Amino acid sequence: MTKFGRQLGIGPTDNTSDQRTPRKPLRLIPNAARESFVPVVPARYATRTHEWDMTRIAPDRPRGDGTPIEVTGTLRNENGTPIRDALIEIWNANHHGRYRHVEDASGLPLDENFFGMGRVVTDENGNYRFWTISPGAYLARPDIGRWRPKHIHLSVSGGSARLITQMYFSNEPNNASDPMALLMGDRFESNIGKPYETLDVDVDEGYRFDIVVGGRNATFFE
Amino acid sequence: MTQDIRPNLLKATNEDTSGPYFPIYFQDESLEDLTVLGPGIVGGPRGQHIILSGRVFDRHGDLANGVLMEFWQANSKGIYNSPTHAAHSDLDPWFNGYGRLRSASGEYKFRTIMPGASDKRAPNITITLFSDGISRIVTQVFFEGQKANETDPLLQPLDSEDQARLIARHGGRTVDGAEVYLLDIVMAGANETPFFDDFES
Repeated sequence: MTKFGRQLGIGPTDNTSDQRTPRKPLRLIPNAARESFVPVVPARYATRTHEWDMTRIAPDRPRGDGTPIEVTGTLRNENGTPIRDALIEIWNANHHGRYRHVEDASGLPLDENFFGMGRVVTDENGNYRFWTISPGAYLARPDIGRWRPKHIHLSVSGGSARLITQMYFSNEPNNASDPMALLMGDRFESNIGKPYETLDVDVDEGYRFDIVVGGRNATFFE
Repeated sequence: MTQDIRPNLLKATNEDTSGPYFPIYFQDESLEDLTVLGPGIVGGPRGQHIILSGRVFDRHGDLANGVLMEFWQANSKGIYNSPTHAAHSDLDPWFNGYGRLRSASGEYKFRTIMPGASDKRAPNITITLFSDGISRIVTQVFFEGQKANETDPLLQPLDSEDQARLIARHGGRTVDGAEVYLLDIVMAGANETPFFDDFES
């Protein structure tokens, strides 16, 4: 008999979540098959050296509209071990809430000086840093007036660590109504970047976002 | 309970949805076809070329557009390129076993080699789905006609309907010699694909 694990929650007011969330509880994986569920991402990604600075599309170009911010953090597994040489793929909407993505049909303005996608690799101590333009919020459900709070997407892959998450901002009025934040409940706090002063760098705001990759993905091989 | 057993764990960052706009810009063709090393490069991994192909559906039977799929499999000898097997003599230097593609429409096609049978397992490929509306769901695909399917420890405990939902059907052979296997994935609702819990297992 198959044993069951978590029942995934459906994000309130999120149509896609309703359409795509499995209705049956997830099945537990028998020990004899456990190892096969721990993908190991090969370290063979390329990034361009200027991609850490997403506030401009190239080093010799002006900055995009909006507030330039810095995001720094350390990537660890649940045991606290830093994860080095991991790729972090980053994407966020521009100051107006628009993605430079062919499927974003929102009609919000593009910014000719903002690309909105970048990649960085964690250093030997698991640290990462990037600059970007603080994203705009956007109206996700015009019919019911639900906004997506401003957020930055991060996709982490390195060895057996794999996580896609979002960094949110504190005190944003739309946080409380966000379906994914509602699903996280009290745990939403850990997805909020912690502001810090950036007096000596060329950005207006700094956010600390330490990432812990959980589950057996990160720890299975230790 | 868990805290009593592993008291020093850091609290994991919540997984969150990729949203609809996972950048197509991040695509890497070398992860969409694991049988080629790159343009103009001679050689490749050992094994029978296969194409795993199908559609990903939502609860209403509509294609799940914008889905990000990741694949993980053993090489043709059944050896995973993981730290536990770092010194294994049957590792294939030209095969990492990790693939990734983003499907704009919800239809997918992944070219790779037929995985070998690992310890007591039937040949399989682990598939991870990321998309708007969900954070991450994981399943595993098997191949029609493999004797080891009958004793596989993951497949065997499932009821026959669920087993059928995880076994890719053979769908012919391409002119360049790849065996085609077909598998549709249903994310939710009637005929839902079985998904697995890799956090609590």
